[in-house]
Amino acid sequence: MNELFALTKRNTKLYFKDKGMFFSSLITPVILLVLYSTFLKKVYDDSFRSALLAAGADISDSVLNGCVGGQLVSSLLAVSCVTVAFCSNLLMIKDKTSGAIHDLTITPVRFGVLGFSYYLSTLFSTLIVSFCAALVSLLYLAVVGWYLTAADVALLILDVFLLTMFGTALSSCINFFLTTDGQASAVGTIVSAGYGFICGAYMPISNFGNGLKNVLSFLPGTYGTSLLRNHFLRGTFAEMKNQGFPNEVVEAIRESVDCNLEFFGTKVEIGAMYLIICASILLLIGIYITMNIIAGKKRK
Amino acid sequence: MADMIQIEHLKKCFGDLCAVNDLSFRVKEGELFAFLGVNGAGKSTTINIICGQLKKDGGNVKICETDLDKEPDLIKRSLGVVFQGSVLDKDLTVKDNLESRAALYGIHGTKFKERLSELARLLDFEDLLRRPVGKLSGGQKRRIDIARALLHKPKILILDEPTTGLDPQTRTLLWGVVEKLRKQENLTVFLTTHYMEEAADADFVIILDHGKIAAEGTPLTLKNTYTGDFITLYGVSEDDIKKLGKPYERIRDAFRVSVPDTHAATELIIKNPDMFRDYEITKGKMDDVFLAVTGKSIGITGGEQ
Repeated sequence: MNELFALTKRNTKLYFKDKGMFFSSLITPVILLVLYSTFLKKVYDDSFRSALLAAGADISDSVLNGCVGGQLVSSLLAVSCVTVAFCSNLLMIKDKTSGAIHDLTITPVRFGVLGFSYYLSTLFSTLIVSFCAALVSLLYLAVVGWYLTAADVALLILDVFLLTMFGTALSSCINFFLTTDGQASAVGTIVSAGYGFICGAYMPISNFGNGLKNVLSFLPGTYGTSLLRNHFLRGTFAEMKNQGFPNEVVEAIRESVDCNLEFFGTKVEIGAMYLIICASILLLIGIYITMNIIAGKKRK
Repeated sequence: MADMIQIEHLKKCFGDLCAVNDLSFRVKEGELFAFLGVNGAGKSTTINIICGQLKKDGGNVKICETDLDKEPDLIKRSLGVVFQGSVLDKDLTVKDNLESRAALYGIHGTKFKERLSELARLLDFEDLLRRPVGKLSGGQKRRIDIARALLHKPKILILDEPTTGLDPQTRTLLWGVVEKLRKQENLTVFLTTHYMEEAADADFVIILDHGKIAAEGTPLTLKNTYTGDFITLYGVSEDDIKKLGKPYERIRDAFRVSVPDTHAATELIIKNPDMFRDYEITKGKMDDVFLAVTGKSIGITGGEQ
C-alpha cells in the first residue's frame, strides 16, 4: 500500500511539474467550450427553434438556452472526460523513453502496483480537469438557463466521475502498448478527433443509420454521453412540460438528443447505463492490471 | 569468501545474434569486479539479466546464493544499480526522488529520513536536497544516482560505466565513497567501465568479446599473460638501443623497449650494464591487455577503434 501511495504521489507530482502535459490536458475542454459557445450554439439554437415552430410550439429563450446549453455542455464533458485522460496518461510512456521505468522495475515493486499507480495518478489529474470543466459548464448554464436540481447536479458529478474513470482505464489499456512520444501524440490526436463522433457527442447517435446505431451501442462511452444528457436536460424537459409542451414533442426531443438509447431495439434504462459504465471500468482496469502482471512475468 | 554472484552457462540471444553465449563466472564477497568489453560485447545484457530486467534464454544465475528464477524479488533487495545515464525524475527534487524510490523498498518515515541524512553526509549532497535533479551538474547527478542505489543498503553495487563524462574531482569522490563502503560494509562492487585505469584497481577482471569471456584474471595475471614489460631508458642514444635488438619506441626524452617479461628485462640489464644507468621497468597497461585480448582498443564511448 505504501508503494502504491509513493508511486501515485510521484506520478502526480511529475504531471503537475510538466507544464506541457498539464496545459495540453486543459486545452481540450477549453477548445471545445469556445467552439461550442461561439459556433455550434447558434446552429443548435436555430435547429431547435425551427423544429419547435414546425411542431407549432412556442418556447421561451430561457428554456431554449437551457436545452441547447445542456446539450452543448453534456457533449463537452462526454468528450473531455475521455480525451483529457489520454492527454494526462502519458507518464507511463515518458518513463519508458527516459529510462525511469528501469529504475522502478529493479525494485521489488510488483508490476501490477506500478501499473495501478499510473492509473490512479492519471485519474486524479484528469478528475481535476474534468471537475473544473463541469464547474465551468454549470456556471455557463447558470447564466443562460438553469433548470437543474441538487439531485441532477449530484448525478452529473457522478457521471463525470465515472466517465473519467472509464476514460482513464481506456487510455491505460491503449497507452500500455506505446513506447514513443510520437505514438502517444498520434493516439491522442486520433482519440481527440474521433471519440466525439463515436460517443454521440458531436452528432447524436439518433441521426445515424440503424446499422451504425447497433455498432455504436456496443461502445460503453455512448451510455456515458447519454447519462450526462439525461441529467443536464431533465430539468429543461420538465420545464417544457410545465409550459404546456405536448408529451410527444418532449419525447421526440429526448429521442433526438440521445436521452433514450436502444440496444438492438430494447430501450436501455438509466440504471442499466450505470451498470454498463461500471462494468466497463472494472473490466478495463482488470485487463490493464493483468497486462502489467503478464509484462512483469515475461521479464522474469 | 562467499560467492555473491554465480553465473553458469548464461545465454541470451536476440534473433540470430547471441549477445551472451555460454557465460560463466563468479564474483566473490567484497570484491571489486571489473566487467570489460566494447559496446555490444554483452555487458549490458548480462547486467539486465542479473537485475531482472531481461529474461535469459538459458543458464543459471544466483545472487547471494539465491536463484534468480525462484526468488527474483529477494535478489532485487540485494542489488543497487547505478545506470549508465541518470534515470531519476528530472522535474522532481533530490529528496522527492529518493523518497519515492526508498518507499519501493519499504523504507519510509523516520527510517527514510535517517538513511537520507546518512547518504547526504557520505556523498556530500546535503545542500542539494531541495533542488530539482534536472538542474544539477553531471557530477552532482551522479552522486544522487549512487545515493539512490545505496538507499536500501544493498550487498552488491552494480556500477554501469559510472564515471563516464565526470570531472576528475567527482571521479575521485565517487571512488573514495565506493572504497569506503567496500571497507566498512564489505560491499561487493560489479563494475563496467571504459576507463582502463579503473579496471586496473579491480580485484578480478573479465574481458568479454562477442558474448563470451575472452580473458579473465587479476589485473596482474592479465598483464603478465597478455602484455610484456617495458624498460624506459634515459640518457642513451638510438644507436645503443638498436644494439639491444628489441622492439622500441622513442618517447620525449627516452626510449621505451619492449621485453616479454620481467625475467627477460633482468637478463637484458645484466648483459648490458653500461647502458642501464638510468631506467625503469613497468608492466603493460590494462589498455594493452584489452587490445591484445580483443584486437580492439577501447575509447571513452566504448566503441571499437
